[in-house]
Amino acid sequence: RRRDSPPPPPQDSVERIVEDAAMDLSLNPFSSGTRLRDMIRAIRASKTAAEERAVVRRECAAIRAAISDNDQDYRHRNMAKLMFIHMLGYPTHFGQMECLKLIAASGFPEKRIGYLGLTLLLDERQEVLMLVTNSLKQDLNHSNQFIVGLALCALGNICSAEMARDLAPEVERLLQTRDPNTKKKAALCSIRIVRKVPDLAENFMGSAASLLKEKHHGVLISVVQLCTELCKASREALEYLRKHSVEGLVRILRDVSNSSYAPEYDIAGITDPFLHIRVLRLMRTLGQGDADCSEHVNDILAQVATKTESNKNAGNAILYECVETIMGIEATSGLRVLAINILGRFLSNRDNNIRYVALNMLMKAMAVDTLAVQRHRVTILECVKDADVSIRKRALELVYLLVNDTNVKPLTKELVDYLEVSDDDFKEDLTAKICSIVEKFSQDKLWYLDQMFKVLTLTGNFVKDDVWHALIVLISNAPELQGYSVRSLYKALQASGTQESLVRVAVWCIGEYGEMLVNNISMLDVEEPITVS
Amino acid sequence: HPTRSRPPSTDADPRRWHSRLSAILPSLATGCHPVRPRRQIRAATPTRPRSSSRASADLRGRRPSLAMINFVLLISRQGKVRLTKWYSPYTQKERTKVIRELSGLILTRGPKLCNFVEWRGYKVVYRRYASLYFCMCIDADDNELEVLEIIHHFVEILDRYFGSVCELDLIFNFHKAYYVLDEILISGELQESSKKNVARLIAAQDSLVEAAKE
Repeated sequence: RRRDSPPPPPQDSVERIVEDAAMDLSLNPFSSGTRLRDMIRAIRASKTAAEERAVVRRECAAIRAAISDNDQDYRHRNMAKLMFIHMLGYPTHFGQMECLKLIAASGFPEKRIGYLGLTLLLDERQEVLMLVTNSLKQDLNHSNQFIVGLALCALGNICSAEMARDLAPEVERLLQTRDPNTKKKAALCSIRIVRKVPDLAENFMGSAASLLKEKHHGVLISVVQLCTELCKASREALEYLRKHSVEGLVRILRDVSNSSYAPEYDIAGITDPFLHIRVLRLMRTLGQGDADCSEHVNDILAQVATKTESNKNAGNAILYECVETIMGIEATSGLRVLAINILGRFLSNRDNNIRYVALNMLMKAMAVDTLAVQRHRVTILECVKDADVSIRKRALELVYLLVNDTNVKPLTKELVDYLEVSDDDFKEDLTAKICSIVEKFSQDKLWYLDQMFKVLTLTGNFVKDDVWHALIVLISNAPELQGYSVRSLYKALQASGTQESLVRVAVWCIGEYGEMLVNNISMLDVEEPITVS
Repeated sequence: HPTRSRPPSTDADPRRWHSRLSAILPSLATGCHPVRPRRQIRAATPTRPRSSSRASADLRGRRPSLAMINFVLLISRQGKVRLTKWYSPYTQKERTKVIRELSGLILTRGPKLCNFVEWRGYKVVYRRYASLYFCMCIDADDNELEVLEIIHHFVEILDRYFGSVCELDLIFNFHKAYYVLDEILISGELQESSKKNVARLIAAQDSLVEAAKE
């Protein structure tokens, strides 16, 4: 460079990269433009959105030109670029047909990126997708198992109902293939097919049941999941699987639960927790409403519930599923007690995740054994004050379900006390819940009034209009409490007048019953006289 | 032998300032708290997530999802999308909206909170690994603890594949990250519980690609 020319731009700047590319082009007019990684670097080096758009525009133009020239050599790279651009949020419709061309090519690398492009750039609603059906059919019959795998994966991720119907026979056939990796993909693909076209469920139930004898874990977890799906899709499949698969499932779970250390599947000291969980889930589906099936799985559930270590997340995930299953089937009372105990332990776990999950489960347990859940009331109340907003919300909902005639007063007191110190975001939910509880149990009018006055004082602004309207209605229908009401409200107003609803109610009362206020009329035992001028 | 591809070392972006995910992979033995990354987290005032009852109507009341995992999302601390995979039907517009909402919801959560957020009647399980948030959206009655394990399964496999994976690997080799994901999940369901098997399958396919280049 001549000495008086400007210094070269820094290595990573957009200018430099564009300069390099321009140099490339000028030296070699047939150059294909930037490499994928250079495009990514250029985009990352853009300092403004406008710069980025310029880079993307330039690249898209080059790709469009290559597409219209039917360029073969760089189709692969252009697809990769298109996917990256798509991920940034830019439109890439013009590239959709390129996916089809790549998929139709004969080589594995082209098909691999073509199928990936298909699942990223398209979704099932697009008609272009239908054009792939033929290629898919051919690839599902390919001699190269990896190509079959690509097709199964694409079909499993994105097929529409029509494609599902068209290609179901191929997938069914592939369930019987020898290669376990193909089998597992076929099983998962079948799940999607059955979800899209539930009528086809009966076609798969025979194969699914017999595949439960497999040893390969990948196949097992896929097939067990397929069975669960079949049960949801078809009554007939559910009955069939109840008859033919329960023994097999118990055996699978027992084997994996008793298995010694298997490094390939070990997670935190447990062999293949994923398999445990899937089998447990299927047992729940089969045992729901079926006493026979529930009896068969009783022992293994007890074993898993007692044996599984609960100091790691993997173990807790299994226990969670186990408890869900016990709650969902016709379990013995012994088993249910076991389940609730696990929940109790979860509830006092230091780990936020576990506590959150426990609260969730306890809500479901309410339907099964309310008394058992009531025993954990104190801990649940503590969770209402937790630092974590997700936990607070769950706990509050649960508390709301736990309220009954015996515990409503202490529970409400706790909630109102907490109302004072809670975060603003939570105040709204909490206020709504308290008002709802209080209204439901408002036979004791004096108590109801006390609670409402407190709430109005603390968070009146969050109190809904119909709530304080109802309050006014009650006061006007309860002559013996009108004096008390107006005096309490007056005192509250003196202490704090910031809450608008409080002011409204108070002013209305004073307007209606001002006399009682000034003259201390109809005082209750609990009151002390006040002077108002 | 397939060469595991790494971004070329002549690349201008120095890798040294990107924390390695593997060095910070939290050991699940110590519980589920996401490990605090080495970089200081700016203590910004967190904006509280809006309650789901105020979610806009268009995505509510959607037909039941088709999969256990509805979508997978990888976002950086700055909200940049590194990977998305959708197993339930979402239009492009809906996808952008979802990403924007979830980024706002998740990126502002403090480190000590639980790994689950409720969003539009679904649950989103997320976990932070160094500068990346791995998120998976599931139905309200699915097992979120298991999904945490699935996320970790995915991360460990990526780590094994890329060799001490970091965010840059996932940026420059995003298509390979997708290939790995496709060996782990299909239609939102788990496909393989053996990390060794996944690695073997990817390696075999990579060598097919290498062989075709010659």
